[in-house]
Amino acid sequence: MKKIVSLAAGAALLLGSTAVSMAQDTMALVVSTLNNPFFVSLKEGAEARANELGYKIVVLDSQNDPAKELANVEDVLSKKVAILLINPTDSDAVSSSIRAANRKDIPVITLDRGASRGNVVSHVASDNILGGEMAGELIVETLRGDGKVVELEGVPGTSAARDRGAGFKKAMYGASGIEVVAVQPADFDRTKGLNVMENILQAQPEVHAVFAHNDEMALGAIKAIEAAGRDILVVGFDGTDDGVRAVEEGDMLATVAQQAGMIGSIGVETADKVLKGEKVDTYTPVALKLVTK
Amino acid sequence: MKLNTFISENKSLIGLIILMAAVSFANANFLGVDNMLNILRQTSINAVIAMGMTFVIITAGIDLSVGSILAFAGAICASLIGMDTPLVIALLVTIIVGAGLGATSGVIISYFNVQPFIATLVGMTMIRGATLVYTQGRPISTGYFDVAESFYQFGAGYILGIPNPVILMIVIFALCWFILSQTRFGRHVYAIGGNENVARLSGINVKKVKILVYALSGALAALAGIILTARLESAQPTAGLGYELDAIAAVVLGGTSLAGGKGRIFGTIIGALIIGVLNNALNIMDVSSYYQMIAKGAVILLAVVVDSRGKSNA
Amino acid sequence: MTILLELQGIEKSFSGINVLKSVDLTIRAGRVVALAGENGAGKSTLMKIISGIYQRDAGTVVYNGKEVTFANARQSMDAGIGIIHQELNLLPELSVAENIYLGREPTKLGKIQWDVIESQSKKYLAQLKQDIDPKTPLGKLSIAQQQMVEIAKALSLNAEVIIMDEPTDALTDIETAVLFEVVDELRAQGKGLVFISHRLGEIFQMCDDIAILRDGEMVHQGPVAEITEDELIRHMVGRELSDQYPFVPATPGDVRIEVENLTAHGAKEISFSAHAGEVVGFAGLVGAGRTELAKAIFGENPIQSGTVKIDGKPIRLRSPQDGVKAQIGYVTEDRKQEGLVQSQELGTNMTLTGLDRFCNVLGFVNKASEAVTISEYIEAFAIKTRDANTIISNLSGGNQQKVSIAKSLVPEPKVLILDEPTRGVDVGAKREIYTLINKLKAEGLCILLISSDMPELLGISDRIHVLSSGKLTGSFDRDEATQENIMRCAVAGQTNG
Repeated sequence: MKKIVSLAAGAALLLGSTAVSMAQDTMALVVSTLNNPFFVSLKEGAEARANELGYKIVVLDSQNDPAKELANVEDVLSKKVAILLINPTDSDAVSSSIRAANRKDIPVITLDRGASRGNVVSHVASDNILGGEMAGELIVETLRGDGKVVELEGVPGTSAARDRGAGFKKAMYGASGIEVVAVQPADFDRTKGLNVMENILQAQPEVHAVFAHNDEMALGAIKAIEAAGRDILVVGFDGTDDGVRAVEEGDMLATVAQQAGMIGSIGVETADKVLKGEKVDTYTPVALKLVTK
Repeated sequence: MKLNTFISENKSLIGLIILMAAVSFANANFLGVDNMLNILRQTSINAVIAMGMTFVIITAGIDLSVGSILAFAGAICASLIGMDTPLVIALLVTIIVGAGLGATSGVIISYFNVQPFIATLVGMTMIRGATLVYTQGRPISTGYFDVAESFYQFGAGYILGIPNPVILMIVIFALCWFILSQTRFGRHVYAIGGNENVARLSGINVKKVKILVYALSGALAALAGIILTARLESAQPTAGLGYELDAIAAVVLGGTSLAGGKGRIFGTIIGALIIGVLNNALNIMDVSSYYQMIAKGAVILLAVVVDSRGKSNA
Repeated sequence: MTILLELQGIEKSFSGINVLKSVDLTIRAGRVVALAGENGAGKSTLMKIISGIYQRDAGTVVYNGKEVTFANARQSMDAGIGIIHQELNLLPELSVAENIYLGREPTKLGKIQWDVIESQSKKYLAQLKQDIDPKTPLGKLSIAQQQMVEIAKALSLNAEVIIMDEPTDALTDIETAVLFEVVDELRAQGKGLVFISHRLGEIFQMCDDIAILRDGEMVHQGPVAEITEDELIRHMVGRELSDQYPFVPATPGDVRIEVENLTAHGAKEISFSAHAGEVVGFAGLVGAGRTELAKAIFGENPIQSGTVKIDGKPIRLRSPQDGVKAQIGYVTEDRKQEGLVQSQELGTNMTLTGLDRFCNVLGFVNKASEAVTISEYIEAFAIKTRDANTIISNLSGGNQQKVSIAKSLVPEPKVLILDEPTRGVDVGAKREIYTLINKLKAEGLCILLISSDMPELLGISDRIHVLSSGKLTGSFDRDEATQENIMRCAVAGQTNG
């Protein structure tokens, strides 16, 4: 069986670079939103890697709208691309897009966020639960196992908010001296991070550390803490440019770098393998990195 | 009899007081001076937008583009500050840009006869898009020149212990109250909302007034964008998403009718405060995220129902 | 004669004010009872109690021998009481048939039976001698035809009692004649009719009985044949109206306005002039182009060709703003939609057009001097209101009309156009408005008066122009003008195009 596959692949290669240059060298990347620096980095990582490997890459923005996403996928499918890389707006809603690709026999790779149904060749993502746990452990370690902690949640109901929160709570359960005094949503938004943190500071005279489910909220929280003249450790998530800069300047203890660019580039590499007929795993993990000063 | 009139005219104020009393029983930290200033500061952004929205809604219009104007103006302002532009010039340019964007909606509405909902929906989409193009989807920092520090102070500083955004909110309130109740322009705004035909046949330049109203709404949205950008020392491309709905909610909570012709600026401030107090209370009482939205919706519904009941009885 | 509906001792008060004081009224099958009274006398309130819109405080309503209480309009409708409101309660976007069956469309398996609705509607319209296609959108019909649709709706409800609130107000003489035929027909069918009208002539022509309300009391009830017009007016106003149309001879001054070859939508090549200190009347059938001409002179109706001169100087008219700037005042025939902001206060309405008088260069309103002017007009025009903050919709039609006239006078115009100034206004207020017109004329104002009420037009105009199909078809001095020669000109254009 394996032999046949490789034979077919070889045949495809032999059949000529001409055929390949027509459709075989075009990848499609449908991104949930380009309204967020993280996905912009993801897109740029994918584009850079695709260039290096000699592929054309079509990028479409779903603007966080599942309907737009489906329309995007239908568009690229009609353009006969070789492979579809998709960063879903929603794990459930993306299923119909993926099935549409399945029907046309175009392989699908999901990036960052998975799909609940449909055939996906590989899912490329960093492990959010593990990331939340890394952040939690860092806080426990820095506070030497004793202190009051606040958690700023992402948009309620999203998988990233769920997983990062779950990992963080896992780390908190292990440390008996740590008390989580407030868990509040700030919707992944910097302004809301600022407002919610201001409000929490009003209610909590003592806070030692904050874990925010993304850097945007962490940066907002830092503004609130600065304005209140308090001294509180902040750990963010995603490793965006602003987040990393805040860590370098000492405003933020750390950010769990979801390596957005790397998710993009590994996604393209995986796609390259699929197109060349190589075998790929159903889950391609991307390393998380704790960025500290 | 007199008390009755007072109650029916100030239902939103009474609602606010009841809400605050209830929260202060639930949490001792709520009524502190710090927290009160904190609530006022957080409310200022929505209040400034909502005051512009009040003018628009009194003309029986609606402005959905304010959130996008806020983001675009914030981005413009952050880049100007980042280029070491003198503070006053940067602020003026930003507000003029906001006014210009609003006026454009006004022109589309009055000269091309497009319904305000559609015209400003288009504005909301296109201006958000323009913000994303301009920022390339990334936050714009205000940079490291000296002017960036004074810009930060503009948004985060205090005068006599009162946060600057609160002072701005009060100034804008005084200005809007004066325009609406003491000037010819204010009268024309009410008349157009009451009956546009009557207004036109009374010799009012309806088109001009409408354009000015949307320009004012845009200018105030831009001012809100300035405050937000200053406080965060950076402009977010996604800033202001959904702010139009908060502003409309504040206006309606304040007793202004979406049908036009009626409304008060004071009510809008109270409406914005109700929303601000609610957000603050949910945070300091550490209410779980899933219940917060239900609580917010319920309070707004309650307030509006009480208000409309009073009206049909009167 | 069978008694259909009998009211006894009806009492109603609003916020402590007694608007109906022990009122009795009897409606008999096959008879038309006229309900007369000044605006504010309680006619509308009484009708709203009959139709279940208001609830009585005391008294009894006996309908077909049984005492009834209607909780809402629906119940009275179902019981067979149809009311045709002064302001038509129809939806212009829907078809005639849809309007007739609105809210009670016959359905089969949830699907509306359009064929039934349309054939039934056609039947009822035919009873009224109306050849109207039931599929026509209502908004395309004339006001008179719309009124017929309202009556058809009442018939379709098998109404035994039909109440008509000022049905002829918006109608031309010919249309009124048709309506009267319909009323005769309904009377012959044994319906009980209530007819509310300010036009006294119609009451004597149409009605069998009369009931007169004054300040919430029923002051007279009896057959029409036993009362004279003078008695009727005396009952209504509680005083003698020695002269219904007080006329003051004019001493015309300079030429104020000259209209030359003016053509606009609805008006063709019209030329006339008017002097300071005179009332120039405009007669014509509804749709003759009088309102269109007025709006063209005011700047609302775009002028296609021709000129308008004020004091010898040609003016540019692109919008009502220009009209106001040229010191032209226009009092519209449609108070509700064009004249006053119904939901706002008397004071702000009155100064809306002339607000500049009270503003400084920066546009700040001097509220003190504004308040002085408002109260001067309230007093001078005898506007009955608690204060300047009363909401317009709470005023009677006559008082609203006075506010409307005051509103156009605040900017101190040189030319005042009055379009149907006494429509929907009671007899007492009418007379006050005539006196007012004379006073303004004496002060040197140039007044253009449009009216469909011929005696009124003849009574107070110095000269009369007649329009027909958008053209000027006749001009008469006061002493040569008669109903007959005006009507001849008014129908002239109708026959030869």
